[in-house]
Amino acid sequence: MSVEFTLNGHPASMATPPETPLLWALRDEKNLVGVKFGCGAGLCGACTVIVDGQQTRSCLTRLADVAGKTVQTIEGLSGDVAKAVTDAWIKAQAPQCGYCQPGFVMAATAVISADPKQSRDQALSQLTNICRCGSYDAIRLAVGYALDSLNGRIATQSKGSAR
Amino acid sequence: MIADRKPSRAGKIARRTFLVAAGIVGGGLLVGAGAIAVRLRSVDSYKLPASEGEASFGAWLKFAKDGMVEVVVPHQEMGQGIYALATLLAAEGLRLAPEAIRAAPAPIHARYANPVMLLDGLPIDGAHVGQLQRATLWTFEKILRALGLQGTGGSTSTRNIAGPIRAAAASALDLLTRAAAERFNTQADKLKIVGGTIVAPDGRSATYGELATEAAKLVPRDITVPPLAVGEYVGKGAPRFDVPPKVHGVARFGIDTREQGQLYAAIRHSPRIGGALARASLPANVTGVHGLVDGGNYLAVVADSFALAAAALEKADIVWDEAKGLKLSTKDVFASYRAALDKGADYRPRWVIDAAGDIGNASGRRVKATYEAPFLAHATMEPMNATALVTETRAKVWAGHQSASLVQLLAAGAAGLSSDAVEVFTPYLGGGFGRRADLGYIVKAVEIARKFRGTPVQTIWSRAEDIRDDVYRPGAMADVEATLDANGQPTSFVYRIAVPSVTDQFVARALPSAKGGLLADRSTVDGALFPFYGLPNRSIENLTVDTGVPVGFWRSVGYSLNCFFVESFIDELAAAAGAKPLDYRAGLLAAAGEYEPAKRAAVVLEHMGRHDLADPLAPATGAAKVGRGFALTECFHSFVGQIADVEISGGDIRVRRVHAVIDCGFAIDPPNVVAQVRSAINFGLSAALFGKIEFDQGRVVQSNFDSYPVLTLDNAPDITVEIINSGAEIGGIGEIGTPGIAPAIANAIFAATSKRLRSLPFALENA
Repeated sequence: MSVEFTLNGHPASMATPPETPLLWALRDEKNLVGVKFGCGAGLCGACTVIVDGQQTRSCLTRLADVAGKTVQTIEGLSGDVAKAVTDAWIKAQAPQCGYCQPGFVMAATAVISADPKQSRDQALSQLTNICRCGSYDAIRLAVGYALDSLNGRIATQSKGSAR
Repeated sequence: MIADRKPSRAGKIARRTFLVAAGIVGGGLLVGAGAIAVRLRSVDSYKLPASEGEASFGAWLKFAKDGMVEVVVPHQEMGQGIYALATLLAAEGLRLAPEAIRAAPAPIHARYANPVMLLDGLPIDGAHVGQLQRATLWTFEKILRALGLQGTGGSTSTRNIAGPIRAAAASALDLLTRAAAERFNTQADKLKIVGGTIVAPDGRSATYGELATEAAKLVPRDITVPPLAVGEYVGKGAPRFDVPPKVHGVARFGIDTREQGQLYAAIRHSPRIGGALARASLPANVTGVHGLVDGGNYLAVVADSFALAAAALEKADIVWDEAKGLKLSTKDVFASYRAALDKGADYRPRWVIDAAGDIGNASGRRVKATYEAPFLAHATMEPMNATALVTETRAKVWAGHQSASLVQLLAAGAAGLSSDAVEVFTPYLGGGFGRRADLGYIVKAVEIARKFRGTPVQTIWSRAEDIRDDVYRPGAMADVEATLDANGQPTSFVYRIAVPSVTDQFVARALPSAKGGLLADRSTVDGALFPFYGLPNRSIENLTVDTGVPVGFWRSVGYSLNCFFVESFIDELAAAAGAKPLDYRAGLLAAAGEYEPAKRAAVVLEHMGRHDLADPLAPATGAAKVGRGFALTECFHSFVGQIADVEISGGDIRVRRVHAVIDCGFAIDPPNVVAQVRSAINFGLSAALFGKIEFDQGRVVQSNFDSYPVLTLDNAPDITVEIINSGAEIGGIGEIGTPGIAPAIANAIFAATSKRLRSLPFALENA
């Protein structure tokens, strides 16, 4: 019995047992290793993917749960918001070790896509991921850049906030 | 760190010598941030291997076939930006854009030893280096270079390689220029260099790549390396080349290793530390399982995928023999510390690591306090994992780690092979923080793979296993006592910490044949010894109390404990003396007289004072109380001042913002310095607000980010960082922000509430 869904814009059929966490199904069967394992308990967000537009912790989602749904991983990220987010992340030089960053980028893309007009603080309040390197100042900056560029404002580097 | 005994030659490179790093142990040994020490004697016998079409310029630089310049880095990239720094220095020295440089892992070779890391562990005050200390350092460096231990830790990467890479780049540019001069039959000083091309007066030109093969054949000569100064990239920074792949999710970490035919293992350790596996079996209905591995103190299930391995492990019937394990609980550990401190000078082993003056005859007002700090896990974002392939004659290891040469040594032991039969592949590290210096996880992965000869096996720790199989930042307890004269100045200072030795345990685990416990472990009192304050009558002591809990290097190591204790106590002394915290510290620094660390600390303090005036504490809102606290610390040769503003509502402590002032000598890559200082402050903040590992009859209580919380966006303060380029020798960056944040907050809480919190993590009854 295989699970059918849309993965990164293409129809997918996966033979991994349906009760398998989506995280491991994606990493081990599809080799989508941009989806990271962090805690296995939905606490850290390293495994965040976008399911039908919502940021989703793939470690707590069973493969069976995404049957018929649309799943996006960092490997299949596309569109204006995704471009704005990744550009902003690079401009802010957010990553340090980098392990949590795909999860953060996915979460931010989902949150900003839902409402590109929201304030920076509104967007930030929906990001509950963990960065153990503590790159939070840079992530705040990046989210601001992304919203600014999507709303036609010119992103400016604030004082003392390089990177 | 080899002293140049002929000062006139300082700043020159001996023939064919790509020499010793600038800026290390002793203020007296070297001549400031830029100057490069000279190794007069040795010739660099090692050249990077070059294949057809490549040109090797010694141990650090190679011109690759694709036109890129490769700079090798003997340190692992774990977020600290060392690959970017190497790129930046090579770009500056070769007058190329950073995009033309590629950083690559250095081979495993004694040439790339990191003696700095280990020399920092000697109990020698770098600012007071006499003949004896000089000889000791020289001897130790010899031994360490011969041992050839590569390693990333102790905030040493830049200190270890900045000098050699700068020298290598300057020398390579000289060779390229000479090759061009020969080719164009002109003098070197008539040539112009434009973007990787050397142009002759008559307009003929050649790129570096075209000249590389000829240049590499020339004999290097003595050249002068200019002092470190702001240049095109140095002192400014450049975008990190590892950032885009990390943002797009294509950067590869150890856990992303995918080898042909690879199997996966899930691992579980004895719940009780030190317990053993008695027996284990799987029910008949598990699928995809290739076998169980009894590792003595762990069980591994090897399967076709990690999900199958983990699912089978959940269903396994496991019986542990816990009779052998540790039976103590957290309170027992701290009772042992208390008992040792109560014995005081009579306790053994006791190491008096720094003593001065006379503490016996002090009189005056007595101030005494006891501080505590808990055990802490590292909780790197990427849980421990390693992939290994073992055959009859060879082994391969793919893993994030902090020492390639130790991985090779230990993997060889676990595979039953010689070191030269082991190949080590190092992708990016999903966090290190000292955890990946302790290589038990690699040994286990190799042991497991050895049972499946010829098949690569990737072993992954669940988060619970990662936290429970950690080597913890030791919990500790300290008694600190001082006497104050009528002016509030200390007439004696006795600092006594009860704590296990991380170094002894590390040595016992990594090199079982070596004998630990013979030397004082300086790291136990780092942050307390050789104080920059004027404390003329002092005794700084370690009472080594090892209760058997595994302890390891955790970001900033001993500084994370001692700076909290010392800088809290200094604040208590200020309060006892009726002085303002900054004024009191200024007085103590002045009392130190002509002592280099005191002078550097005083400049940092002056900047803190300016910030305090320019940007005062914002008033409280509603019923909340607010307070501003200060801490001044030295860590790995850099000086850090921190100003923390806290808001207290009921028992809730919120850190609003933090301002840090740092003097690391010279910031080669300032944006990265800012990022690292913020990172280390947030790391220390997680610990100060939440961090606690507890033991219940030998079992670790915490298991994931719910029971072991760390900082998230909503409680991470805005952090600003001010950099002072003092021109002193280069100090560390990656860890220096961690030690000062806890005392800054404790002092801020005191300012807000008059309550003195002497134990971490902070817990405040309704204030």
